[in-house]
Amino acid sequence: MAEKRGTVGGPVLTEWFGKAKLHTLDVYESLGGYSALRKVVTEMTAAQVIDEVKMSGLRGRGGADFPTATKWSFVPKDHPGPKYIVVNADESEPGSAKDRYLLENSPHMLIEGAAIATFAIGGHQAWIYIRGEYDLPYEMLRDAIAEAHTKGYLGDHPFGSDYPLDVRLYRGHGAYICGEETALLESLEGKRAQPRSRPPFPAVKGAWGLPTAVNNVETLATVPWIMRHGGPEYAKRGTEKAKGTRIVTVSGDVQKPGNYEIEIGVTYRHIIEELAGGARPGHKIKVFWPGGSSAKVLPGSMLDTSTDLDGLKALGTMGGSGGIIVMDDSHCVVKAAARLLRFYAHESCGKCTPCRVGSNWAVRTYERILANEGSETELGLLERVADGLQNGRCLCGLGDAAGWVIESTMRHFRGEYEEHCLRHTCSVGAVLAHA
Amino acid sequence: MSTLSSHLLDEIKELPAKYPQPRSAVMPALDLAQEELGHLTPEAMSEVAGALQLDPGYVEGVATFYTLFHLQPVGRHRFYICTNLSCMLRGAEDIVDRVKGAIGVREPGEVSKDGLFSYEEVECLGACEYAPVCRLDHRYEVDLTRAKIDLLVNNRRLPRKHIKSRPAADVTTPRPLPGSAGPPRTRGGRQSKPAPRRPARPPKESDG
Repeated sequence: MAEKRGTVGGPVLTEWFGKAKLHTLDVYESLGGYSALRKVVTEMTAAQVIDEVKMSGLRGRGGADFPTATKWSFVPKDHPGPKYIVVNADESEPGSAKDRYLLENSPHMLIEGAAIATFAIGGHQAWIYIRGEYDLPYEMLRDAIAEAHTKGYLGDHPFGSDYPLDVRLYRGHGAYICGEETALLESLEGKRAQPRSRPPFPAVKGAWGLPTAVNNVETLATVPWIMRHGGPEYAKRGTEKAKGTRIVTVSGDVQKPGNYEIEIGVTYRHIIEELAGGARPGHKIKVFWPGGSSAKVLPGSMLDTSTDLDGLKALGTMGGSGGIIVMDDSHCVVKAAARLLRFYAHESCGKCTPCRVGSNWAVRTYERILANEGSETELGLLERVADGLQNGRCLCGLGDAAGWVIESTMRHFRGEYEEHCLRHTCSVGAVLAHA
Repeated sequence: MSTLSSHLLDEIKELPAKYPQPRSAVMPALDLAQEELGHLTPEAMSEVAGALQLDPGYVEGVATFYTLFHLQPVGRHRFYICTNLSCMLRGAEDIVDRVKGAIGVREPGEVSKDGLFSYEEVECLGACEYAPVCRLDHRYEVDLTRAKIDLLVNNRRLPRKHIKSRPAADVTTPRPLPGSAGPPRTRGGRQSKPAPRRPARPPKESDG
């Protein structure tokens, strides 16, 4: 891999990044790694672990912002058989690369966090579902798990205790839908990855029909820090309700794309202009996706928006998976939206009709528009299809996300759509072919 | 005579025990089959189903759902080129054009005449800070330019030992990391078997 692009020596997650050979157990441990897991399995109860994470205010970093401690507490304590932590390492939201960044820097951080979480729910096994394209992170995790077993930090007697803990790996095979937790569980069970109807929720009936908590890589990677420093220390960072730090991936038309650890609450202007170097000289930022391609777009005039999760929700968008895609005035919004709709149509699992039919309908409409065959009809059609995709008509959010792309780009850039549909021109046409 | 070698089928039969429920072995098993053959033929999928005691139609249903399973012949080196938004903004379309020109094919999935290459346009690879990117031979190639594509292609045309010895097929047996502690994974005599010669793939209408 090329040089790593992103924060090193940041406040929480990236604290040790940049240290040579951090991916090895020896270096990770010399910096303080595995001290949290040691403390947890030798001195603490599951309830104490959950309390500590509750005090931190940590919320899931996979996109749904759900409080992590609450999710763990939903897993029934008195269930007699196996219970699982399943790690969602199927990062495939367009614009998001932060889980890969974490894994390539510090695989032990995830393993330690996953083991702590497994202890907290009263389970003994964590399964990491990692996307098939992540060859290097997979190899690093595989070697790191082997190291942890050799050292006696995983296995039948971690740190000499009598609480068996194991972390296993499962490779995905290319399907965006597996990022959705119930589709991921189906895939882990050896099936086509189609989302399940809820209830029952995974906490009751998850992997292999047993109680399961599904957590994102970054969420679990934060847990060892919380256990070392205490929940209240973590909660000092961030905003009133959205605590802590997170890693955002900035990509697209910026001078320094990369993964940056930020304290939640800083503005997008800070991230895009200061951390990522801003737009290329002579260009202005036209639009950005604040949290992956599934987050509703915000126009460049709203760069001062805060990364506060609740503030973003109030604006109708979301912090999502932290993938910030920036587009400047040299690119056409209609073409960008058309590309994303092609993505959602391709990745629709086909189970729910509104998503399967609607996304393909939108693709065909965009194709007509970009072939200069659009008219007033196409404008109305896109609006109707966007409405049909949204509002929770399907088992998962993929269709909604497709609808949000259409709706939010049309709302903020109606002019560009009208140019294409009514006048068959494009004000940024000169650079459409990617000069 | 089966399509898959007998020791591979033995290996597949051992997979279900590794999971809480045996069905989870279907994808790892298909991986092994694809690794041996280059792509998944109907016969291979049936044999996997037999080894796992599953219905052949079920196994095929799984294989067709996931993009990393190939049901048609593919090149020995496959470019998985990201064309999603972050890469598109930084010139992915141009990269696709260059790959097509450099390996001499017209469309995704078409195998180059020498059998060495094919390409696919894929969705986000999760390396957006390096856009445009592609996955090639189990590694990401980043900050792609036309010149870099030419270099990647030309290097693989050279008769180099390390490239010749690489398994012809896809995914799950990555090379161990340099200095890694884990034992190298060996699979009996399978590596010594010459890679099957694959016929050039006839043009398809679409590779959606």
